[in-house]
Amino acid sequence: MTDALLQQLLNGLSIGFGYALIALGLTLAFGVLHIINFGHGEVVMLGALTVVMAGKLGLPYIVAVPLAMLVGVLAGWVFDALAVSPLLGRPEGRTDILLTTFAMGVLFNQAVLSVWGPAPARVDGLQGRLELAGVGLSSQRFFVIAASIAALAALDLLARRTRFGVEMRAVAQGEHAARVVGIAVKSVGTRAFLLAAAVGGLGGALLAPITSYSPMLGQAVLIKAFVIVVLGGLGSAGGAVVCALGVGVIEAMLGLVLEEGLAAACVYSLMLLVLLLRPQGLAGAVR
Amino acid sequence: MKATLRDLGIGLVLAASLASVLTSSYLLDVAAYAAVLAIFVLAVSVTFGQLGYVSFGHAAFLGLGAYTVGILVAQAGWSYWAALPLGLLPGLVLGVLIGAVSARLSGAYFAIATLVVAEILVLLVVNWVDLTRGPMGLMVAASPMPLSDLVGWSPQQGYLFAVAAALVLAFVLLRNLRDSATGREWTAIREAPALAESLGIATARSRVLNIAVSGALASFAGALLIPKVFVLSPSLLGVSHSATGILGVILGGKATLVGPMLGGALFAIIPEGLRFMGDLNFAAFALMLLVVVRVLPGGLVGWAATRPAVARRLARRSPGGMGALPAPAPLAARARRDGTLLEVGAVSRQFKGLKAVQEVSFSVRAGEIVGLIGPNGAGKTTLLSMLSGFLPVSAGTIRAVGQDIAGRPAHEVARLGVVRSFQQTALCAGQTVAANMAIASRLHRPADLSGALVRTPAWQARERERMAHALGCLDEVGLLPRLDETAGSLPYGEQKLLGVAMALAAQPEVLLLDEPAAGLNPVEAARLARVLSGLRDKGMTLVVVDHNLKMLMSFVDRVVVLHHGVKIADGAPQEVTRMPEVVEAYLGRAQAERIEAVAA
Repeated sequence: MTDALLQQLLNGLSIGFGYALIALGLTLAFGVLHIINFGHGEVVMLGALTVVMAGKLGLPYIVAVPLAMLVGVLAGWVFDALAVSPLLGRPEGRTDILLTTFAMGVLFNQAVLSVWGPAPARVDGLQGRLELAGVGLSSQRFFVIAASIAALAALDLLARRTRFGVEMRAVAQGEHAARVVGIAVKSVGTRAFLLAAAVGGLGGALLAPITSYSPMLGQAVLIKAFVIVVLGGLGSAGGAVVCALGVGVIEAMLGLVLEEGLAAACVYSLMLLVLLLRPQGLAGAVR
Repeated sequence: MKATLRDLGIGLVLAASLASVLTSSYLLDVAAYAAVLAIFVLAVSVTFGQLGYVSFGHAAFLGLGAYTVGILVAQAGWSYWAALPLGLLPGLVLGVLIGAVSARLSGAYFAIATLVVAEILVLLVVNWVDLTRGPMGLMVAASPMPLSDLVGWSPQQGYLFAVAAALVLAFVLLRNLRDSATGREWTAIREAPALAESLGIATARSRVLNIAVSGALASFAGALLIPKVFVLSPSLLGVSHSATGILGVILGGKATLVGPMLGGALFAIIPEGLRFMGDLNFAAFALMLLVVVRVLPGGLVGWAATRPAVARRLARRSPGGMGALPAPAPLAARARRDGTLLEVGAVSRQFKGLKAVQEVSFSVRAGEIVGLIGPNGAGKTTLLSMLSGFLPVSAGTIRAVGQDIAGRPAHEVARLGVVRSFQQTALCAGQTVAANMAIASRLHRPADLSGALVRTPAWQARERERMAHALGCLDEVGLLPRLDETAGSLPYGEQKLLGVAMALAAQPEVLLLDEPAAGLNPVEAARLARVLSGLRDKGMTLVVVDHNLKMLMSFVDRVVVLHHGVKIADGAPQEVTRMPEVVEAYLGRAQAERIEAVAA
């Protein structure tokens, strides 16, 4: 029994790390640009699709993962050029961006559906299994955990140690003040958005072998990412990571006793409860 | 009331004749679907157009209404027409719930909450098979509308009449609501939430009411959809219906009610024309959404309203339901209250390590004009924000008009009689001056929701009285001639005067003005000084923060000086300007001499 629990804990953690990357992309765009990308789920889907395609072409998974990030950046660039940048200066631009990113997401989704069809696909990730004290973990799940930790550490370094990271944090804190001290706010915003898309693509590529690919995964993943960033406090990177792990684990545990759909409904309801009792999120500061 | 009954009557006659004229089963079907979608899109426009909140999950309300009534009919054996009115309820309850979780936060949270709630409901409907039959779908047989055979209508004709009548009713009631104090609250919250709070509008509660109204209507639309779809499936709650709602509002024009109605109806008709595109329907919708938001933000009706011919005709119409504007009621001199109106006791405020205000105490007597001065960063605006309820105090007490106000939200503080203006101009920039003043008159007369819905004579009398009061306040600052201009297009000085007039219209016992003269040129500043002196002569109690000392010293009775968050002086202008610590901290010698010359 405890073995089963421990197994689910590890499974939940590995999924949770994937969620963390996806949610981080969402919260990064919100933190820096103060926008919500309602098409973020489709960027994640494109990341997953990339590893599917790469597999069909015979490329090894490990090569496909960075390719998925690249596809994420490309998709992010299209989003930014058509649905974000042109609207940022408008009086109600941030409301309009909710709509335009949603529309762009649908367009990407429909494009994928019409070219590659609605069929789901299995993705072969890394093969093999690691055994640790009676509990097994597939190499793929282990890779998800390791790669996510590496990516999170790299992002942390980027934010703290590089010029771009410092500029990004300055814009996040106050656009006006950042502009006054000579930061190119618009360009920093665009680069942050592309970074967010790259992280989203990576999340999709890492999770695809575990959850399998479907062109409809964007919608499901987006809702999960929303639940996570709201739980963690919109714009809080640390909160998103912690809550992503929490959601992954809770989902896995609930999966032991409930049907998948009902387990998901429980996790989503948790978000509403937290909004009601602690609107700033579990990790957010009281404003 | 007469106009409302007339509009309803005309609408019902139109609905009945439409139902009688159409006989083709195909056309009846499309027309009924158009009317239902028009109601649904109207519902979306209540949150989106009136409140500025985008929802990606309005299908949650639609589906909930449909399933509730459907289950009552199919599982509990109710008659469809008896169960139909109950279709309003689930949306109302869900609206209050979603409002409660998101109304204190920004619109982004509302968008997320609606999407997540819709997903939860989909999961419930799919999994609770005993009740909903899950993905199989719930068959609901709706009986023909009672009495429809009496007038010789087929069941389909009766159904069309019912949905068209519901559309007429929804449109007229929503229009009346929009043009009432409640609708004006929503406009203020959408355009300037802080201003709304300062004028006594309980923004969170007002948002919940808005979302509940929208939810109830959307859920009713869902219940009305049953005879058209016959089988309820989880896709009712899906994102494509939610997207239809948004796109209908955007396409029609979110600032109006006619626009969303047209947009909704179009969505019943366009897909018929787009059938040849097959599965790409949804992609076409998305492309339209993207293009319309980017190119035509005002929607079709917004675009039409900017055509010169239409604009001229619109300009001739008076604002909402009031007919001709009443004559301004002159701002009466205040009955002199006695004693202390505002008592600040050892108030402090910390921001993490920074002590912005430290144990400041002072009081303001009725009819007194107090200037609050000090160098930049002295804590003046922080203090003002605490006095008006916009910032909680870290420690200390504030009593106003005999009541403890520290810790109360801003709108309650405003209701108790302490009203502030803002340093940066805070206006509903897209509205006319008259509309801004109507918004500001919120506290003059309480909002009367049920009276507003049918425009009872008593409600109309109150509206006229409210407007007369608001116009009187506008006259006090000399802006009456600007009545029909857009607030955002006024010169800066007049925008600030309008801010003062709006604060006045909220009937303050104590008026707090935050740098009213900042950014004004000397002519504008002189005009402001005349206005403020006029208020003083009418017995108004004022606390004024400003750096324009020449102007300030010419009409204040007393000056409180802050420095590094601490009160360093409190007294008559002549005394204070002689105090060495004030000269040292703020004035400088030359300025002190100049001010003494003015004050003497």
